Amino acid sequence: MLAAAITIALAAISLAMLLNLWRLLCGPDLPDRILALDTLYINTIALLVLLGIHFDSLVYFEVSLLIAMMGFIGTVVFSKYVLRGDVIE
Amino acid sequence: MTLLLIILFPLLGAALPAVAVRWGRNASAGAAAGVTAIPLALLLFETPRVLAGGTIEAGWRWVPAIGLDLTFRLDGLGFLFALLILGIGLLVILYARYYLSQRDPVGRFYVFLLLFMGAMLGIVLSDNLLLLLVFWELTSLSSFLLIGYWKHHADARQGARMALAITGGGGLALLAGVLLLGHIVGSFELPVVLRSRELIQGSPLYLPMLTLILLGAFTKSAQFPFHFWLPHAMSAPTPVSAYLHSATMVKAGVFLLARLYPVLSGSDAWFYLVSGTGLVTLVFAAYVAMFKHDLKGLLAYSTISHLGLIMLLFGLSTPLAAVAGVFHIINHATFKASLFMAAGIIDHESGSRDMRRLNGLWKYMPHTATLAMVAAASMAGVPLFNGFLSKEMFFTEALELHQTGTLWWIVPAAATLAGVFAVAYSLRFIHDVFFNGEPVDLPRTPHEPPRWMKVPVEILVVLCLLVGIFPAYTVAPLLNVAAGSVLGGPLPEFDLAIWHGFTFPLLMSVVALSGGVLVYFALQYRFNLHMIVQSPSPGRRFYNRGLAWLTGLSEIVTGGLQNGSLQRYLALLVTVILLAGAFPFWQLGWYSGSRSPGMMDGGSGVAWLLLVVSAACTVIWHRQRLLALVFVGVTGLMVSLIFVRFSAPDLALTQILVEVVSIILLLLALYLLPQTTPRESSVTRRMRDAGLAVAAGLGAAGLVWAVLTRPQDTISGFFLEQSVPGGGGSNVVNVILVDFRGFDTFGEIIVLAIAALGIYAMIGGLRVERPALDPARRPWAADSHPLLLRVASRILLPLALMVSVYLLLRGHNEPGGGFIAGLVTAVALITQYLASGIAWTEARLRLDHQRMIGIGVLIAALTGVASWFFGAPFLTSAFAHWHLPVLGELPLASAMIFDLGVYLTVVATTMLMLVTLGKIGAREEV
Amino acid sequence: MELLVASAIGVLVACGVYLLLRGRTFPVVLGLTLLSYGVNVFIFVMGRLQSGAPPIIKPGAAGYADPLPQALVLTAIVIGFGMTAFVLALAVKARFALGNDHVDGVERSGPERVP
Repeated sequence: MLAAAITIALAAISLAMLLNLWRLLCGPDLPDRILALDTLYINTIALLVLLGIHFDSLVYFEVSLLIAMMGFIGTVVFSKYVLRGDVIE
Repeated sequence: MTLLLIILFPLLGAALPAVAVRWGRNASAGAAAGVTAIPLALLLFETPRVLAGGTIEAGWRWVPAIGLDLTFRLDGLGFLFALLILGIGLLVILYARYYLSQRDPVGRFYVFLLLFMGAMLGIVLSDNLLLLLVFWELTSLSSFLLIGYWKHHADARQGARMALAITGGGGLALLAGVLLLGHIVGSFELPVVLRSRELIQGSPLYLPMLTLILLGAFTKSAQFPFHFWLPHAMSAPTPVSAYLHSATMVKAGVFLLARLYPVLSGSDAWFYLVSGTGLVTLVFAAYVAMFKHDLKGLLAYSTISHLGLIMLLFGLSTPLAAVAGVFHIINHATFKASLFMAAGIIDHESGSRDMRRLNGLWKYMPHTATLAMVAAASMAGVPLFNGFLSKEMFFTEALELHQTGTLWWIVPAAATLAGVFAVAYSLRFIHDVFFNGEPVDLPRTPHEPPRWMKVPVEILVVLCLLVGIFPAYTVAPLLNVAAGSVLGGPLPEFDLAIWHGFTFPLLMSVVALSGGVLVYFALQYRFNLHMIVQSPSPGRRFYNRGLAWLTGLSEIVTGGLQNGSLQRYLALLVTVILLAGAFPFWQLGWYSGSRSPGMMDGGSGVAWLLLVVSAACTVIWHRQRLLALVFVGVTGLMVSLIFVRFSAPDLALTQILVEVVSIILLLLALYLLPQTTPRESSVTRRMRDAGLAVAAGLGAAGLVWAVLTRPQDTISGFFLEQSVPGGGGSNVVNVILVDFRGFDTFGEIIVLAIAALGIYAMIGGLRVERPALDPARRPWAADSHPLLLRVASRILLPLALMVSVYLLLRGHNEPGGGFIAGLVTAVALITQYLASGIAWTEARLRLDHQRMIGIGVLIAALTGVASWFFGAPFLTSAFAHWHLPVLGELPLASAMIFDLGVYLTVVATTMLMLVTLGKIGAREEV
Repeated sequence: MELLVASAIGVLVACGVYLLLRGRTFPVVLGLTLLSYGVNVFIFVMGRLQSGAPPIIKPGAAGYADPLPQALVLTAIVIGFGMTAFVLALAVKARFALGNDHVDGVERSGPERVP
């Protein structure tokens, strides 16, 4: 039961990531791409958590925790650059 | 120990004259003399043992892996040479004190001279052939420095270069020869080599080895056709010529042959090569010497000729000839050094060395003239002077020769001819300079030199006479032991007497003397010697042409490769790497190995697609820099997924952190750089680069495929087994970093610290105006620090810090550790800069990053040093399990303190890098 | 799976090398970043591909991934970061000291001559 759920979830997440890639490629504008990157971070977190359940390992959760934090900061930095140019002012 | 001291005194004491020169020239000369006198005394102290036939040996291990050890020996031959080096060295130091003018840097002269002295002593006292080679090269170098001492003279510089090129090239040949010899014998230790005569002479490598060693000896001892560097070396100050280029350094080649005489000599190859070269040099140089107008030039060719004579004697391979060779080494050193000094005095006091202008000096300097006459008579081989004795022995041996068969008369005839020339040029040295009319417009009025300048000459001249008249009472014991160690066996019967009765050698001497006188006066009055000008020797022309050709070639190569374009260098570099990698790759049979590949899954396929597409997009859109950066971000994320997928949580954590920090850095830099890249490469160039890139990519992929499809053979078993019992931690990666390979990590944080400090030093003070509009020509957003961001970041800070402390503490057992925790902390802190600005953050967070780097490195270092106090090597780890209330079992290893140092360094370096770059564009207010 | 990894490394290296050969500093830094990704993964996979076996000692674990390449790559990532930072600082300094961001420090007008 769990295995089947994980397989379906993995497929859905993979599809989501492919759509992120599509948005990254097409744009059309920079903010769209930054948003796509942010969503990609979130999908990655989901992927890792799923893998953690699949392999029954806690190690994946820590990585996803850090990706969550770093994804946030990455998005912030890109946005700040677009808005202000100077990231640290 | 004495032996090492004898060498070390001049080598280490060489610094003293340079220091002492601030108290005057006398102090400098005194220091040099002291540094020479002490080893001379040490040497003389050993005289009884050496003269009794003893050999003193001493040794320390140095680089045993290549057979290079610090082993020394003092036997008869070494003693003789060491005595010459130190004794004449002392006289030269005294002489140079008066010879050098006020303008010359005296300290430097004595420094070089002492360096040479130490190196030369090293050659003659080495008991290991490789060690001998090291000193051999040192003498070439110090000779270069001494010849070029008057560096403002073009001919001094050229002479120095020429001497270095010839003797250095010979040194290379010698190195190859000695390596071959070591290969044949299996050791570089002299005692072993000297016992292996049959082995060496029977080896098929004997001839190439002998040729290479002889090349070294011939170049050093200025044998034809390599002789031409020595006349050019005469642009050195005369004390140097007297010391290096007549008495000591040029004898190094002869010394080497004497050293290896017991094992190399006796073969036909040895006879023809050594005595042939010696014979040609002897006659040719003696002939050339007659026509030299320069005093020192005449002496230089005479030196070459006498060196040829000694070579010839060793080449004859009879025991008595070897004795004569050693004897002539002694005699030549004494009379030639004194002649050079006399020539120096004449030059010094009259301002010229040209014999066409120097005439009739007897009236002005009779004392010097007398000394010069004695020495010149010795050089000519006049009876009652020491040169006569060894020359007589030489004539005797020339007549005893059997190898030449029906051509037996060649060597005696050539010897007599050379004797005629020697008498002629000696006579010219005396007659042309001290008599033969009046001086021709000399720069100075000649007069006698200062009293002490003549003392060294007097001492040497007295030695010439004493040896010449009472050989048995003066030189015999020294000659016996020296010749004994050359032969390595019993000495032949010989009689050091002036009068042997009416013999054939005596007749040859008489012919040489009378013939020489005749030749000289015939040349002088019949053809007017002063008008004959010689063309430069063919060897020198060959050298000059070769040098010009080499320079031209290197200019073409360098100019062709280095046009100043870094792009081009990099392309060449990549090409070379590809070519270097291609060949072994092909040989390997790069296709798949035996291991069957694993199954792929859907998630990995998607990640692969994202990685490949984003990397490709980075390239496609690299002109729009910000866009390219977004794709680099995607690529980095996917790389960290690779690490997670294949069981490397530590790597994934590090990768994701470094990824974000790098993006912040890149954005900070991008703000200060152009936003787009102009299109400037031509299509051909882009195609070429793409070709290189694809080739590199295919190479890397092929290599990975080849490795991954082959079974693994790892050394990691040790680390996995020892991690818990030996390192006290279950996270093997972290234990490797802070314990097993802690020293590497220590080096690494130092590199990081240097990089951060370098960045700070490079751009720390840079300040740049903010552009008015953004790249799309729109005004910047008004709100520099949005409220939402500020609030979010402040909530994030304590959480992130907690996570980082957690990661640091558990890093020894679970994924985490100093690097990861440090990066988390740095990111959390930098977020405050991002959200609230520099001013706000620095008002609340007073961190001195530089000091923090220092503290971090210091903690790591002290952890390492602490293990010394427990008698363990640097960075040995210790650990214990503590039971604490509430927290429970807490394993603590000393490596964790080391990790704390790593943590602090990483935090501080990251912060310093980011803040330094961030402040460049910041406005002063805010 | 091995084919995926090998081709991914190949693409990273190829993109890295191409950008490294560009004439302006910023693309070169991007190329350096991509190339170090490629090299890091390269060294890492020398320990072969192991799923679900992190090198953390646990009783009853079936096996462990090779920890040695991981330790090497961990330091390589951090050092790579230090290098990127240093090169960026150089690029910024060069831009303001020389007035352009060409790697040779000289602006070349028009398409370059191919040697």
